[in-house]
Amino acid sequence: MVQYSPVDRTFAALSDPTRRGILERLGRGNATISELAEPYGISLTGLKKHVRVLEDAELVATEKVGRTRMCRLGPRRLDEIEEWITMYRRMLDERLDRFGELLERRKGVPQ
Amino acid sequence: MTSDPQQAATATVSTPSDREIRTERYFDAPRDLVFQAFTDPELTPEWWGPRGTTTVVDTMEVEPGGSWRFVITDEDGGENAFRGIYREVSPPERIVQTFEWEGMPGHVAVETITFEDLGDRTKITNVSLFHTSEERDGMLSSMESGMNETYARLDELLARLRSR
Repeated sequence: MVQYSPVDRTFAALSDPTRRGILERLGRGNATISELAEPYGISLTGLKKHVRVLEDAELVATEKVGRTRMCRLGPRRLDEIEEWITMYRRMLDERLDRFGELLERRKGVPQ
Repeated sequence: MTSDPQQAATATVSTPSDREIRTERYFDAPRDLVFQAFTDPELTPEWWGPRGTTTVVDTMEVEPGGSWRFVITDEDGGENAFRGIYREVSPPERIVQTFEWEGMPGHVAVETITFEDLGDRTKITNVSLFHTSEERDGMLSSMESGMNETYARLDELLARLRSR
């Protein structure tokens, strides 16, 4: 049986564009399931599946309010992981290019 | 020396899985020289940080279990420190090291850097895998036997070099 760590679940949850869209929408304010489904043109059942994946990863929390289910951002600090990876990619992007330039500069320099 | 400048100037970046970033790049120099430059603390400030930043090497012990710590200063004077451990150093073909940003401890990338000998040229492949520190620690213990084997191989390699 495969055991998923919280970070695995977070990355799996974020791998889908619809789920990233849901998080972006909830970042602007709480919304009901049907409000979330509207821009994607998918069924409420389909959207609920996405919300459940996000809930398992603690990226989204839901609460039944009367006859609707209200969704909001969950306790997991998504922004932290995203910030980390953004920082890391930025660090990585130019590194090998700059290393290549260094090698070019050092051509002809006695070793 | 002939080379394809197009290929030499471009790093290929791909994301084989959600947690992995793979970068490949060709260098117009033989592998021994590339490895030597890559692991030289005096040369590291010239290329390690993003453009426009200044890198200071605080610690750089390029040996299995050795530490590294670099401090980067950006144009606005903001300082960021990065650190890690060299898990495997197999000159001139492979380095495995961890990467942590001190500003956000607990998130770790494990970088596997492979140097491929292409005669006058060298291909570097950097695969970065993300972990939390808990996962990294768990992995470290399961990797212990593998690491010992690596140390043994490194010892053999160094012995061969000494006897030359």
